[in-house]
Amino acid sequence: MAEKRKRRRADSDSDDESVRLPFKNRLKPDAAILSILKTLTEATKSASTSKTLTLSDLDLSSTCREVTDLALSSVQTEIQTLAISLAKSILAGNGFSFSVPSRAATNQLYVPELDRIVLKDKSSIRPYASVSTVRKTTITTRILSLIHQLSLKNIHVTKRDLFYTDVKLFQDQTQSDAVLDDVSCILGCTRSSLNVVAAEKGVVVGRLIFSDNGDMIDCTKMGIGGKAIPPNIDRVGDMQSDALFILLVEKDAAYMRLAEDRFYNRFPCIIVTAKGQPDVATRLFLRKMKMELKLPVLALVDSDPYGLKILSVYGCGSKNMSYDSANLTTPDIKWLGIRPSDLDKYKIPEQCRLAMTEQDIKTGKDLLEEDFVKKNPGWVEELNLMVKTKQKAEIQALSTFGFQYLSEVYLPLKLQQQDWL
Amino acid sequence: MDSGESSEESPAQAKKGKSKTPRKPKASVLKQKSPAEFFAENKNIAGFDNPGKSLYTTVRELVENALDSAESIAELPFVEVTIEEINRTAFNSMIGLIDRERIDEALYGDFETAKAREKRLAKEARFQETQAKNAALGKKVKEPTSGKAIKGRGEASFYRVTCKDNGRGMPHDDIPNMFGRVLSGTKYGLKQTRGKFGLGAKMALIWSKMSTGLPIEISSSMKNQNYTSFCRLDIDIHRNIPHIHLHEKRDDKEHWHGAEIQVVIEGNWTTYRSKILHYMRQMAVITPYAQFMFRFISNTSDKNVSIRFARRTDVMPAVPLETKYHPSAVDLLLIKRLIGETSKLNLLQFLQHEFVNIGKSHAERLIGEMGPDFSSKTPVKSLTSQQIVRIHQLFRQAKFDDPSGDCLSPAGEYNLRLGIIKELNPDMVATYTASAQVFEGHPFIVEAGVSLGGKDVKQGLNIFRFANRIPLLFEQGADVVTRTAMKRINWNSYKINQTQDKIGVFVSIVSTKIPFKGTGKEYIGDDISEIASAVKCCTQLKSKIVKRIQAREQQERKRNLSKYIADATGAIYGILKEASQLHANKKKRLEIKDEDAELLQKVSSRLITKEILSEKLAQHVEQVDYEMAMEYATQSGVREEPREDIYLQSLEPQMNFVDFHSPVFVFRLFQ
Repeated sequence: MAEKRKRRRADSDSDDESVRLPFKNRLKPDAAILSILKTLTEATKSASTSKTLTLSDLDLSSTCREVTDLALSSVQTEIQTLAISLAKSILAGNGFSFSVPSRAATNQLYVPELDRIVLKDKSSIRPYASVSTVRKTTITTRILSLIHQLSLKNIHVTKRDLFYTDVKLFQDQTQSDAVLDDVSCILGCTRSSLNVVAAEKGVVVGRLIFSDNGDMIDCTKMGIGGKAIPPNIDRVGDMQSDALFILLVEKDAAYMRLAEDRFYNRFPCIIVTAKGQPDVATRLFLRKMKMELKLPVLALVDSDPYGLKILSVYGCGSKNMSYDSANLTTPDIKWLGIRPSDLDKYKIPEQCRLAMTEQDIKTGKDLLEEDFVKKNPGWVEELNLMVKTKQKAEIQALSTFGFQYLSEVYLPLKLQQQDWL
Repeated sequence: MDSGESSEESPAQAKKGKSKTPRKPKASVLKQKSPAEFFAENKNIAGFDNPGKSLYTTVRELVENALDSAESIAELPFVEVTIEEINRTAFNSMIGLIDRERIDEALYGDFETAKAREKRLAKEARFQETQAKNAALGKKVKEPTSGKAIKGRGEASFYRVTCKDNGRGMPHDDIPNMFGRVLSGTKYGLKQTRGKFGLGAKMALIWSKMSTGLPIEISSSMKNQNYTSFCRLDIDIHRNIPHIHLHEKRDDKEHWHGAEIQVVIEGNWTTYRSKILHYMRQMAVITPYAQFMFRFISNTSDKNVSIRFARRTDVMPAVPLETKYHPSAVDLLLIKRLIGETSKLNLLQFLQHEFVNIGKSHAERLIGEMGPDFSSKTPVKSLTSQQIVRIHQLFRQAKFDDPSGDCLSPAGEYNLRLGIIKELNPDMVATYTASAQVFEGHPFIVEAGVSLGGKDVKQGLNIFRFANRIPLLFEQGADVVTRTAMKRINWNSYKINQTQDKIGVFVSIVSTKIPFKGTGKEYIGDDISEIASAVKCCTQLKSKIVKRIQAREQQERKRNLSKYIADATGAIYGILKEASQLHANKKKRLEIKDEDAELLQKVSSRLITKEILSEKLAQHVEQVDYEMAMEYATQSGVREEPREDIYLQSLEPQMNFVDFHSPVFVFRLFQ
């Protein structure tokens, strides 16, 4: 007995590495991987010099609606002009009404040339003197006047602040939030130009230096937690980086692992996460990084339909904010992992995979119908595989091979093999 | 109490013995069990599970008998229920037992050992401490929980339940058998009745015999009868026969007719109080033409309850008719019984007269189909067992028209509506009566009502179920009505918010045979698709509800629109004011048109104020409201809901009053 145990220990000692960390021996030295990454970065830089398309280039500006960043003073003027016209209408005895661009699903369009969702030009009239719209109309005027005050005083508030200015009228925050988006559409400006921000959610760590409201931030010196992404993007400027790529992580747990292992020091990169569904600030920040630093973006998400959905929000925008998709989306995000095909390729044991629920499978099948998936044949293939095997796995499934498998073997190997879609 | 003996002989069998056969084979001795014995042992079948439920079921059975009785002579029911609490001393003196002081305290279940006492005192001290602290901090002081008296097994509570009605009464000589013999009754025919098995009052008696040993007291008088029958009896459980203590005729001084039944039972008012009150309330909903008086009398006067459910209409649903069987609802035994009972001689007449939906020509065709052994002239009493099986088979396979619902007596939309309005006082009611449908040869009618708002109604769905016009209170979750209302109806399409609005759902099913699930008459199963789909007919209410909601919106539109005027104009004026200040101060004429600048100037010179804006907007709202009201009127026409008669309760003539006369009317003030 004792001898047997000893032998087993001896065995496990001898090829400990390969058993505990499969595929580790396939890894080339870091220098080789780095050179692969450099070519990727170069390619991205040269590719992105070509001008990005806009709606007007495609001759769609008449049928599609887009908002732009407006200066504070023009927001102020817009609101004043609107208020004057409303007052005139009231004084003329006609009551008043808003023409609100519709943000319904039927009014959305995926433009393959732009690779993002845009809003079509349908709008609805929101009159005051109608039982069904009177509340919303009143909330709209109230929000307008609040935004006007913000623009006068030149301050930022959060959506929550806005809600608390008149809880009695707004009743719950979803109502004031929805109207806030309507107001952006009415005024034709981005939500950030309204000076209303959401609470901080995203974090960034790695080889990035930028200024936040004038203070220089070095994201390599922010500890393990990283720097919270500022809720209003106008504060951010002077981005500098020696990173080779941006790594977008879906989950906080995987982000923490990579940050603690200082993954960005082994392979120069910037690591970003929004902890689940991305908020506006993180999307704006990612876009800014991509545009200014011209780095490739690689995404590490769960191997389930929701992972892909999150990827799509970064890439083509959410339906809710489609009016501002031009500023919120980051083109050309590569799906690094974890992909359904990885489950077998990296021999992830059965017990770490989860069976997809009915709902998951339905979501997966629905995604297959979405244009942004269809335009990428690789994605379609992966998604088909997922729906066929009916298995999903989280990033944490890799922890079966040790907590650091993700940063020490999986990611380097993926990068070495240029295994992204 | 003799039940000890039976449980001694075979406790296992007594538990198992759910079968209705009175015979119980035993290994050695063949014993027989009387129906009374059977029900005494399995009293949960009839709803006597525990003292509390027994009290509830007793009240319920007596009230339902009273209503049936009054309705059978087309008299507007007046039912008086009194529950009187009897403490142990009073009870003991009733049965002639002397109160004994406890000598050996430790013998009793509620004896407090020294250790427990210590614990309790410590706890009380702690409680007082926190109490004092709270008081010092100015917090609300909790009422000290009155030392919960641990109710030992000996501390049962006893109640005298009295139910008096103005019904038919009972023939003097029948009274003993009507109460002292289980499974004997007057309601066995095929007819929509509240009671069915002839069990209710007898079970109350059996329960009283089991728990208190006191007899039941009945006084009854019929119309045109110059005496009152008084009877005091109990039941011989072993022989299932009445045991009469006293049976006599007394003078009827008030010319009263009806019955008054008094029984003393063990019960539990504390836990079943709300159930009993709910029952009375719902009964009042479904029978608005009845007057109920409910009293609870206890030793401590603050617990007394006295509720009067006034009569709101004198329109009574028609008395349900006794009907004949539908061919698809009979089985072999029933055919044999019908053959035994029939006065018809030949097969043709038998088929034609003992069943519904078989006419003469239809009967002839059926007989032809039965085979060469049968002819119209076949004497019905001479049919062999095989021939009866053949008839039964044909009844199963042949097609018959559905029975009509004529024999049923639904509460009626009018009564249902009234009942709902009376008891819940809702903002809105819609009611609907479906046409009769059939389940296993028994016709049934579903009536439904939906109410919104009202007093004492909780948010969300409040479901009220009635079967043959009796409220069902227990087993709500499994019931077909609950399931339908919760799962199969999309309340959103009614513009009703299922979680926030106060919704009342009333469904009443009447049938010659309600397919109850389980032993008690408590719920109707969800697996009967006929009934499930009939219940869903409540969706017929949709147009009514939507119409009513529209009408309500009409009324409230102006209020709703005006509610936000101040908010909206305030916000707009706020922007204008700031703009005008900017415009004036900075002299930085923003690129605005002249007319806009003019408007801003008017704002700064206070020619345009918030009040003016509000006023203008209010005018606009008024105009829109007027236009929409016109539109609504032209669309829906001036047709309104049919006017309803108001029922004014007649007053007793000897009231004192003062008249205030005016040329147009008289104002009468009652004193």
